[in-house]
Order: sequence, then structure tokens, then C-alpha cells
Amino acid sequence: MSDEILTDKYVENSTRAIEDDILQGALGKIQSGLAKATQASYRQLDEGPELRMTAHDIREKTINNLDVVLTQLAAKVRENGGKVYFAKTAEQAVAYTLDVARQFKVKQVVKGKSMVSEEIGLNPALEAQGIEVNETDLGEYIIQVAGEKPSHIIAPAIHKTREQVGRLFAEHLGVPYTDDPPELTRIARKALRDKFLQADMGISGCNLACAETGHMTVVSNEGNIRMSTTLPRVHVAIMGMERVVANLEDHDILFRLLSRGAAAQKLGGCVSYIGGPGGPDFPDGPEAFHLVILDNGRSRILADPKFREILYCIRCSACLNACPVYGKIGGHAYGATYCGPIGAVLTPLMVGMNKAKDLCLGETLCGACRQACSVNIDLPRMLLELRYRLAYGDDDWQTKQVSPLEKTIHQAWAFLAGHPALYRAFLKAGAMGQKVFPKYRGMIRKMPGPVAGWTRDRDIQPLAHTPFRERFKTLSSKKVR
Amino acid sequence: MPIHTNETQFIHDIRAALGIRANNSDARQKEIFTDPAQPPEAQQMLLDTICARQHSDRMDLLDRLSREAVPLNLKVIPMKNEAEAAKAIAGLVADTTPEWGDKKSVVQWDHPMIKALALDSALKDQNVPVYTAAFDGSETSHNQKNLKRDQIREQVTASYIGVTSADFCLADTATLVMRSRPAEARSVSLLPSIHVAVIRKEQILSDMKELYALLKFDPDTRGKGLPHHMVMISGPSKTADIELVMVHGAHGPRALYLYVITGE
Repeated sequence: MSDEILTDKYVENSTRAIEDDILQGALGKIQSGLAKATQASYRQLDEGPELRMTAHDIREKTINNLDVVLTQLAAKVRENGGKVYFAKTAEQAVAYTLDVARQFKVKQVVKGKSMVSEEIGLNPALEAQGIEVNETDLGEYIIQVAGEKPSHIIAPAIHKTREQVGRLFAEHLGVPYTDDPPELTRIARKALRDKFLQADMGISGCNLACAETGHMTVVSNEGNIRMSTTLPRVHVAIMGMERVVANLEDHDILFRLLSRGAAAQKLGGCVSYIGGPGGPDFPDGPEAFHLVILDNGRSRILADPKFREILYCIRCSACLNACPVYGKIGGHAYGATYCGPIGAVLTPLMVGMNKAKDLCLGETLCGACRQACSVNIDLPRMLLELRYRLAYGDDDWQTKQVSPLEKTIHQAWAFLAGHPALYRAFLKAGAMGQKVFPKYRGMIRKMPGPVAGWTRDRDIQPLAHTPFRERFKTLSSKKVR
Repeated sequence: MPIHTNETQFIHDIRAALGIRANNSDARQKEIFTDPAQPPEAQQMLLDTICARQHSDRMDLLDRLSREAVPLNLKVIPMKNEAEAAKAIAGLVADTTPEWGDKKSVVQWDHPMIKALALDSALKDQNVPVYTAAFDGSETSHNQKNLKRDQIREQVTASYIGVTSADFCLADTATLVMRSRPAEARSVSLLPSIHVAVIRKEQILSDMKELYALLKFDPDTRGKGLPHHMVMISGPSKTADIELVMVHGAHGPRALYLYVITGE
């Protein structure tokens, strides 16, 4: 990832997010509204919510045959007139896009919302070449004007109030202040219409490609992706290599689930199937279409059977809307492109487990993400697996053991648990020793040294003077009537 | 441009990651991709259902389409015939004003059903020009085609209403399905502020499953193939990016009128 990674500021940024009332209000709205609506929309499926399990099987099969599926996709896209490039790294994907831009003498780019372009740091690279880049999704446009980063996969500016957007537009676009969402939308519509008509290059991501027909499909409710992929002379689409289905039958199932997971819709407002340019016989549409298929660390994830399942993800963002941790800290705290439960698993695998360890440690393992997931990915299992690798270290992932001391303590504990006499003696000593700690209402308030963290934010229950096994003897000797 | 596409190495790396040693890709390919000549049972049933549809079934689908369209802010208006539809469109032109600039013009597809509306005569009284966004056959050289493309772009940009038909309409999601053809410019349903679509009730399908079954397994539909571009449109453009407040008309058309000709 060429974007700045701030995963090591997770705790600090989370603390700040929790104190941000505006963010808390916005997150509350997403979680109370969208999360429930998505669950209801799963129940309304003809096949019922079990379709998520079917989708999981489909994804598993596709990922396990990714070589065959991608080969077919590339061949069919070429039949449709499109060009296909396989990028092993973010740098290769960026370089290829810049090459195409040079070939078409591109000065202005319009972009549909694409997380993968954030992942490879495409915008700064284009701008460094003197190319003007305009994000066209309203939320992305707002944060681009503000010079910020998305805080949600499908609602990137959810952390901003209408008043903030109004002030931002007044300051940067020279329009009178308004805090009316329809009026603010109209202002962006007008400003971006000119950009759409002037742009020489459109850039999009890809929601799901279909291998047998040779198309990539993109969805938007605003129509901005249709604009970006129809009006400029050249269209470059970038897709993570896992975002593909084999055939139309699978596409139907996954696309319906994607729409529901993302926005509790039956189907997104505008779905474009693109496999190539129309060419000179068509009255409009681009002259050239390039599909960039990106690895950027994904094949490494694919090679680890315990983490392969994360590649089933179709980025609907339903897990964000359900996650109690995301619901409190928002997207920015995760410090990388992908946030929420999906980010907590994916980011450590992409930028390094040690570097992003707090993301997987911060999640609660409550399982809400799995229930929300449109393809029923077992995210909690992978969060635990990451913790396991961090606890013991893993050379394959260049992961260093986080705390040798913790491991030693656990080994000592295991030893104690296997030796009852020693265990009892240890607890007895503990019950005596804990008297030195300051107490409040029978709870220990503060402990020193390496265990200080346990009492920093809460009081803890002291060890009982008379252990339960002692009391149990007297309890069981009393007659129960 | 790099001619090298990296494909071989890329696929090799995936195979290595999957732990696939023997190249059994042909066998796996057969297992993953279904044969268009042999529809599975479920898809064959869908094709049979579509084939067996009677007038009353089609009217039921129209009802369902009308119901599903309401929350999407898509206006579905049944019409007896083309003449009635043309009259309704003339009324729409009279009642609405352009969003950009103050001159009214309409742009349409070069499509048999749209031509049968005879919009230019229907709009003559109002002095509103009707452009047809298509090559007329006089353009043979690359240069002539480019000039015509520029002219079409200009007309579509200037027009505030775009009139199209569609290949199919899906009742379940109130979705217009359009496969790109040279006579049917994509931008006509995209750049104008109001999109007007005219279809026959026979073009209404139940849902995406039926559409995909037709596209893949129906010899007639398949024959025309899935071209390089297809679009599915379910209602006018909308956004909820500011405080999750729903607003219509983010970038594409702000309003979408669908006239369904019932032929009765």
C-alpha cells in the first residue's frame, strides 16, 4: 500500500473518535438504520437468508479455482475488445494506468468510487504527473474537497454533518452557504457535470467481474460511475483479483446479496456491464477499455489456508454497519484503506501483522460481522487466528511474537492448573498479597508495574478470602430442602 | 504501452498459492463453466415460464413493476398505443423546464418503436427540436465518424429529455435493461435531466434470474449476444451521502418516466 498507514495510531485515534460527538451521531444512524434494514432485506430474499451460505460455497469454489476463472475472464474481455493487464504490485498497477494516461494525453480524470484505487495510492500518482483527478461519488467528492480520507466503504463522508459540508462548499467552491442536502447535492452535480464532459479518462473499480461473459460490473446509485465509464475517451478499471464470479448464475446470487449487504436494496440503481469499448461504429462510449487485475499481496493470503476465506469478501460493507467497535471508533481510526471487521483482518495481512496488530486485538469477537456478512465469512475465526500468530510468531508472515513474557505467563499458568496443590498455594498467596493494593467498595483500584493496564480503566474484583472450593464443602454438607 | 500483460507469471503465482501442482485446469474449467447449449433444469424451467406467459400473466408483471417502481421514484405509466405515448411525452415537455440553459430540446434513439412515436411532429407546436443520436450511414471514414460523434455529444448534452426504449424490463426490481447498439447511444439515458423510456409489456420479465437465463440459454436472445456493454437502470439517480438523507438527481437523470404500451 502506498498510502500512509497509520495503524499504529489505532488506540490514540479511537480515543479521539469516541470523544467526537458528530461522528458518534453519524455512526449511530448507520448502525441503527442500515444494519437492521440489511438483516430485513436478507430475510426477504426468495431463497431466504440461507442464500448467504450458498454464496459462501460459490465464493469458495471460485477462489479455489481462481487461476482458471481469471484466465477465462481475461480471454473473454479481450474478445469483447478490452485490454487486460495483470499487476502483481500496486506500483505496477499505477505505472500501467499512467502509461495509458500518457498514451491518451490525459489531462483530466473522473473517478468512480474505488477502494482498490485508494489501496494502490492512484490519485497522488496521477496528480504528480500534473493530471487533475476528480472524485465523482458525492461522498468521495466531499472528502476530496476537504482533503480527507473515506471513513466508510460505501458512505465515505458519513462523518461529516450537513453544516460542515455547507461550509466546505462555501469556502472551496465559491457558492453561498446552505445546509440543505438537496441543494448541496445540486451544487456538486453542477460542478461535476463540467468535469464529466471535459475529462479524457474515466477510472473505476469493479464490484464483480463475470468470467464467462467477459465483463466487469460496477454499480452506483448516483449514476456517477456510468458517467465516468461512458463519457471520457478511455476507461481504466482496476479490480482486486478475487472480485470475480465464474458465470451469470453465480453473478445473480452475489449481486443480489451485494446490493442488500451494501444498502439494503434489491438491486443498485445503475449496474454497468463492461467488457470493451464500442469502437468507431458506436456513437458514444470510450475508445479504449483497460482492465487491471491486481494481486498486491492477495496471492500470499491465498496461500495461507487459514486466511484464504477473507478473499471471499465482495466489499459490501455490511460488517461495518453491524460491528460494535466500528460503531464507536468509525473508519478513520483503523488507519488504512479498509476499516471495520474486514479491515481488521485484511489490513494486518496486507501491511504486516505486527504493524497492524491493534486492529485485530481491538475487535470484540462478538460475531455480529459474520451474521451481517453477505457471504457469511467467518471473520471472528480469522481475528482469533491473527491473535494466535501474534502470540506465537510466524516466520512465513515475518510476524514477530508480540510478548514473550505473555507466553511465559501462560505457560506458567498452564503448569499451575495441572498441579492442584501448587495452584491452591498460589491463590492463597495471591489473596494475602493483594491486600497492599488500594481498594474502593471492595474492588481493587490500582495495581503497579506490568499489570497496571488491568486497572487503568476499571476496578477489578479481588481474589476471594475463602475460595469457592472451601465454601462448597460447607454448602454441600447443608441439607437442601 | 507494455505489450507484456504479466498473465503467465500472475496465473502461475496463483496456482502456486493454491497448491495446484498438476495442471488439471481443463477438467476444472469444465466443472466451473456451464454449457450454454445445455441449460440446467432450473434455467430451463425459467425459459419455459417466459415462453408460456399469457396476457393476464403479463398484466400481473406490469402491476408488480408499477408497485416496485414507487419507492424508487420511477414513474410507470401504462399506455394503449404509441400515439397515446407520444401525446403524453408532448405533455411532459410542455410541463417541464430545462435544468441547464433555457432552450428546450429532446434527443432520442434511432429505434423502430421510438421512431413510431413521431415525436418531431408531436413537438412541432411547441417548437422543440428532436435529435436522433445515431450514425445515419453517410459517415464512412474515421474522420466523418468522429465528427458525427462530436455532434451527437453536443446534442445529447444540450437536450434536457432523452427518449429510449430498452431490451427488457425486470418487474421485481423495476429495472430497465439495455444492451448497447450503434443506433442506441448510451448517453441518451444518462446526460439529459429527464429520461423517458418506452417499452411494450411483452418486454417485461420477472427478475434478473429470468434475464440471465435468456441471455445465456435462449437461442434467440443468445444469438444477439451480450455485447461489450450493457446497463441496468432502476429508477433515477439518487444519493444519501450527506447525513443519509435521500436526494434524487446526483449525476444522472433526476426523473425517469417509463411508458408501457399495453396494446389494448
